Amino acid sequence: MDYVGSLILLAINAALINNFVLHYFVGICPFVGVSRRVDVALGMGLAVTFVITIAAFLSWTLTWFVLQPNAPLTSWIVHTINPNSEMVVDLSILNYIVYIFVIASSVQFVEMFVRKFHPPLYKSLGVYLPLITTNCAILFACLEIMKHVSGVGAGAWTLDKALILGFFGGIGFLIAIVLMAGIREELDLCDVPAPLKGAGITMIIAGILAMAFMGFTGVDSGLAGILMRGGG
Amino acid sequence: MTITIILAAAIMLILALLMGYVLGWANVKFHVFVDPRITAISKALPGANCGGCGYVGCNEYAEAIVNDGADVNLCAPGGDGTAEAIAEIMGVEIGSSIPSRPVVHCSAISSQRLKQNEYLGEQTCTAANLVAGVQGCVYGCLGFGDCIDACDYHAIKIIDGLAQIDYQNCVGCGACVKACPRNIISMVPFKSNKILAVKCASKDFGKEVSDVCEVGCIGCKACAKNSERFTMDGNVPVIDYENYDPENDSMDIVLEKCPREMLIWVGRDVS
Repeated sequence: MDYVGSLILLAINAALINNFVLHYFVGICPFVGVSRRVDVALGMGLAVTFVITIAAFLSWTLTWFVLQPNAPLTSWIVHTINPNSEMVVDLSILNYIVYIFVIASSVQFVEMFVRKFHPPLYKSLGVYLPLITTNCAILFACLEIMKHVSGVGAGAWTLDKALILGFFGGIGFLIAIVLMAGIREELDLCDVPAPLKGAGITMIIAGILAMAFMGFTGVDSGLAGILMRGGG
Repeated sequence: MTITIILAAAIMLILALLMGYVLGWANVKFHVFVDPRITAISKALPGANCGGCGYVGCNEYAEAIVNDGADVNLCAPGGDGTAEAIAEIMGVEIGSSIPSRPVVHCSAISSQRLKQNEYLGEQTCTAANLVAGVQGCVYGCLGFGDCIDACDYHAIKIIDGLAQIDYQNCVGCGACVKACPRNIISMVPFKSNKILAVKCASKDFGKEVSDVCEVGCIGCKACAKNSERFTMDGNVPVIDYENYDPENDSMDIVLEKCPREMLIWVGRDVS
């Protein structure tokens, strides 16, 4: 039960408490760019969630089996060549380039998929769909996973934790961007002072939204207590 | 060290091959079928995206032709050539298309307009139209050239303060009609190269018109009495373009009777 409790905690952490957009401030460009209408924002959020989950899966797999120091694949190759070798092969230098590579490929894949099955969504997302490639929220998720896998030793994350971080991180992004789009839709009806129109008021809203999410800080310790005790 | 470098290179290569294969598979699997006729029609259209056909752009129009069976002769800038090309792609016959062209219903150059006052405001028709007394006539051309800005084809010039349409360049997109704040430009079917047009829009009575304009229509109804193609709307004659046939209708008597020479042949010279 402790284990399930920690997974739930991780999910709530990724989605709400340490929200990617509103706590770490990554993925701001689609957050501001595609949050004009709720339905488009929802589509963008879902696309990002999808990509981030795939990227989390691939990056965990590659980091665990190939890239981390003394990874199963590399050490197996080394031992096949020279059974007596004590050499530790460390391919962590490849981390960034492999992550970027994986993200770019999965974005391409999603783009083809959306174009085939949801043409209206494809049209409304426009240039922001290929731009998921450079969405830092996704690279951030990959790096977060790397931090907990590469060279950690016994406490390293398993695949389910990586997937939960990716998926609920994406859900957190979805929540943030849909909230933002809802507020901005209402804002069209408001009399915004002239100097603040456009980008100005958007930044202020984003700031206030981030402050609201700061209210979750500290919830995790209390939640951990409840979950662990409940698990007995 | 060497083995690390070789391994790194090998792993990147394998990853590249793997991803390339997956994406190539997805490209075939998720291939979106685009009707080749849409592509062909898009190429045949001029690509001006003027919106004259009533669709958002040339691509939208091409899709509408193929999917919704829109008419093939709606493209004004492309004209007959484009319509024929599209008809060939679609395998349909073109209905006879009569081109619409704008007519400016005013013929007074600035020296013929009376009771003008100096106007120092913003030099656009829209702004000047809001101010009373820029010139005596509240119907006629203001001459600040809002229509010139609207025209993408350099087909309107202001000559002596009056908008003149160059029918050689005009494609009939109708942008000037929307731009004119006094609504004195209207689209008219050009059944031949030259047609008659009433070049005045003033609905005032004759006395008031001659007070403010040296050439404006005084509403004498001479044209309406002599030809059934003319009807009076307010104090200004309107040509019934539906029935008007410039090739066969003889308008000599009307032209002769008009005391203000308000009926003018417009259109392009046959080259």
